[in-house]
Amino acid sequence: MSVVANYIPRDSAVHRLSPLTKLGWSFLLMTLSCFFRDPLVLAGLFASIVLVALAAGILKEMYPVFKGLLFIAGLFILFQIFFISEGKTLFTLIPGTGIGRVTDLGLLGCLAMGARMIVIAASFPVLMGTTQIKDLVVVLVEKLKIPYPYAFMFVTSLRFVPTFMQEMDQIIQAQSSRAHRLDNKNFIKKFLSICPLAIPLMVTSVKKAERMAISMETRGFGVGKRTNLHVKQFRAVDAAVCSGMAAIGIAMVVLHFRGILL
Amino acid sequence: MIKVVDLHFKYGGVDLEVLRGLGFSIEKGEFVALIGQNGAGKTTLLKQFNALLTPTGGSVEIAGLDTRKSSTGELARKVGFLFQNPDHQIFMPTVAREIGFGPKNLQLSKAQIDARVEEAAEAVGLTAYLGQNPLLLSKGQRQRVAFASVLSMKPEILVLDEPTTGQDYQEGIEIMEMVRKLNELGHTIVFVTHDMELVAAYARRVIVLSRGRVLLDDSCRNVFYRPEILKQTNLFPPQIARLAQMFPERHFERPLTVEEIYREIVNLSENKLNVCCR
Amino acid sequence: MTAEADCAGPAISVEKLTFCYPGSELKALDELSFQVSAGEFVGITGPTGAGKSSLLLCLNGIIPHFQDGKFHGAVKIDGCDTFDTSCAELARKVGSVFQDPEAQIVAPVVEEEIAFGLENLAIPPREIDQRIAESLELIGISSLRHRSTTQLSGGQKQRVAIAAAIALKPKILLLDEPTSELDPIGTMEVFEVLRRLNREHHLTVIVVEQKVNILVEYAGRLLIMKNGRIVCDAPPREVLERPELLTSVGLRPPPVGDLAFKLKQRGLYPGALPLTVGDAYQGLSECWADKGI
Repeated sequence: MSVVANYIPRDSAVHRLSPLTKLGWSFLLMTLSCFFRDPLVLAGLFASIVLVALAAGILKEMYPVFKGLLFIAGLFILFQIFFISEGKTLFTLIPGTGIGRVTDLGLLGCLAMGARMIVIAASFPVLMGTTQIKDLVVVLVEKLKIPYPYAFMFVTSLRFVPTFMQEMDQIIQAQSSRAHRLDNKNFIKKFLSICPLAIPLMVTSVKKAERMAISMETRGFGVGKRTNLHVKQFRAVDAAVCSGMAAIGIAMVVLHFRGILL
Repeated sequence: MIKVVDLHFKYGGVDLEVLRGLGFSIEKGEFVALIGQNGAGKTTLLKQFNALLTPTGGSVEIAGLDTRKSSTGELARKVGFLFQNPDHQIFMPTVAREIGFGPKNLQLSKAQIDARVEEAAEAVGLTAYLGQNPLLLSKGQRQRVAFASVLSMKPEILVLDEPTTGQDYQEGIEIMEMVRKLNELGHTIVFVTHDMELVAAYARRVIVLSRGRVLLDDSCRNVFYRPEILKQTNLFPPQIARLAQMFPERHFERPLTVEEIYREIVNLSENKLNVCCR
Repeated sequence: MTAEADCAGPAISVEKLTFCYPGSELKALDELSFQVSAGEFVGITGPTGAGKSSLLLCLNGIIPHFQDGKFHGAVKIDGCDTFDTSCAELARKVGSVFQDPEAQIVAPVVEEEIAFGLENLAIPPREIDQRIAESLELIGISSLRHRSTTQLSGGQKQRVAIAAAIALKPKILLLDEPTSELDPIGTMEVFEVLRRLNREHHLTVIVVEQKVNILVEYAGRLLIMKNGRIVCDAPPREVLERPELLTSVGLRPPPVGDLAFKLKQRGLYPGALPLTVGDAYQGLSECWADKGI
């Protein structure tokens, strides 16, 4: 879980790019994925993300993330595919009954949705893996004019993911020491068995947040204009990469409207 | 009661072993303190006792059960585990239901659960609070609620991970006095602490861990009078033991408490004065 | 900045301070009055619920600026009334370190953690860089500058928290049970740093601590609190002369101090009561040498 948001220190060209460029890249991928319906084009977009991860030297770390995304998308497709009835029937799960009918439009539609999901979700961990959070905050605040407290909240919530995972671990251990079982088969019981974990997690989290707020206040948080120790410069390379991305993006959209890329 | 044989353990995904081959056994009715520096593996070892963690090499046997073949839930009848932070487990709207959660998980009848809640609450002095919301109690009281919810499962072995942390001296002593009483009733006690005065006051046997191995395993007195070994693991004996060791020529009888050394010093001084007078 | 000229007098002055948390009739602090001069090392101790933490929150301005409740009396830091002084201004005068190392570290890297307060106060980046180096040097943890904050030991985390507070160049440092989650070595590390800051840099240190053993060794003055009041305000040696006072509020007298007190009553320990095992050794050796024992 924590790998989704973790910075992976490397000295690659991707790491050296301005966070703004990488944010732009992530945004471009999201926009493009909304235009296209052809699973092949979407697969191409996903391949480009994998290539960027490779160039950044973090493919090994990203592998479990990508695998997880593919799995979730697969599940999603499996759940959706039987509910689309338009189009020609390709095959049915139980022949002759009409149960589990899969149509060509259904298959394509689901594949597109699944692939779109992957593209939208996959760029984020690559962005976080190659960008230090503080650099991202500086960009969010200085360039995109997002109020500092919001940007800060976003960042700290990421910083606390590992802490909460640890807390959760402790809580699970404490409750299972009291013979609490989490492996209930019954769905309702399974749901109820979350309470002994969720309530302590909520209570300890609120306490932690309170203490953190106090600690921040004593260090002048939110008093007004602030400075930043490090500011990542937007360099010529960034300008080049951005224009390149813009050109490719526009070209793809134009091709889309000409009916060449769907 | 507890039998540890050549125990090795490492966490998944980490190459370094936290426990590197340790062995000892603890008999029924013992009162054992487990001490060592942070990172020595104390908590990791404690968690082996109720199968929260299981050996990656060697074995741990609790009352005849191999922890690798038993679940934490099964071991809960044998081993009660008091954690450092009570907030990690309190979730019920009343103290009574909180204490009854363990027995309920053991699938006891309503009458049995009520009887056990009553008994456990009395043992920790919370009878007056049974109807209250545990989250609104003080930290010391919450720790007692957690303690009662362990006792209500009637474990033979009690494992306590820094039971006095975050509490004042008085609250800490009260918890330890309850533990002492349980020990007198025949329960086996294993506890972890950084407070050497507490160890000297309560434990009969001390196991010193250092980097995943047993460095010393002996009576309280024998351990605290081996400062050269304790030093390796950055532990200091209690103040009184340190003081007595600064006077090797006086041959004190290895005192640990103020009362013990006080008596010796008084004897020493008055004998000498008596001799002079004669 | 305008207030600077008016500020004079003792480092801390508390007058008839009373505070109740909202919805509670109980006085968390009950007509407290005391003063602390610049350069003192004050230890505050007492049972849980005595009001120690609430008192610290009054000294750094969290009460009344962020915590509601009934507030009477006056707290003056460096002559400035906390009621009229903004938290940002107070942050430059008073640094605070808390109990839970996990909940006060906001940044993923040590360097950024130290920078956090400086950035908030809009210090120019070049000066921030310099102050990070200085405060890490002062605490003796320069080697940790680029380390991830999640991978530090408890003692290291607390020293990073102290460095982050010191970076704002406060005159007063407040610590609320900074060692309660640390082992004996971590505890020593923290107190040694505090002693150095106090002695070599004239920093006023106020530390709330349960371990009386360690307080008598390091603090020059002890405040013992109970039920929102100060029941004793004296140097450690005088506190040891009254062990019944400690036990009556549920605190443990340090063993060597307790021993010497008992021996003294039988005329077997001359001179001042010992604060450390070393003191006790010296005291007993001299006594026995005199008497030819």
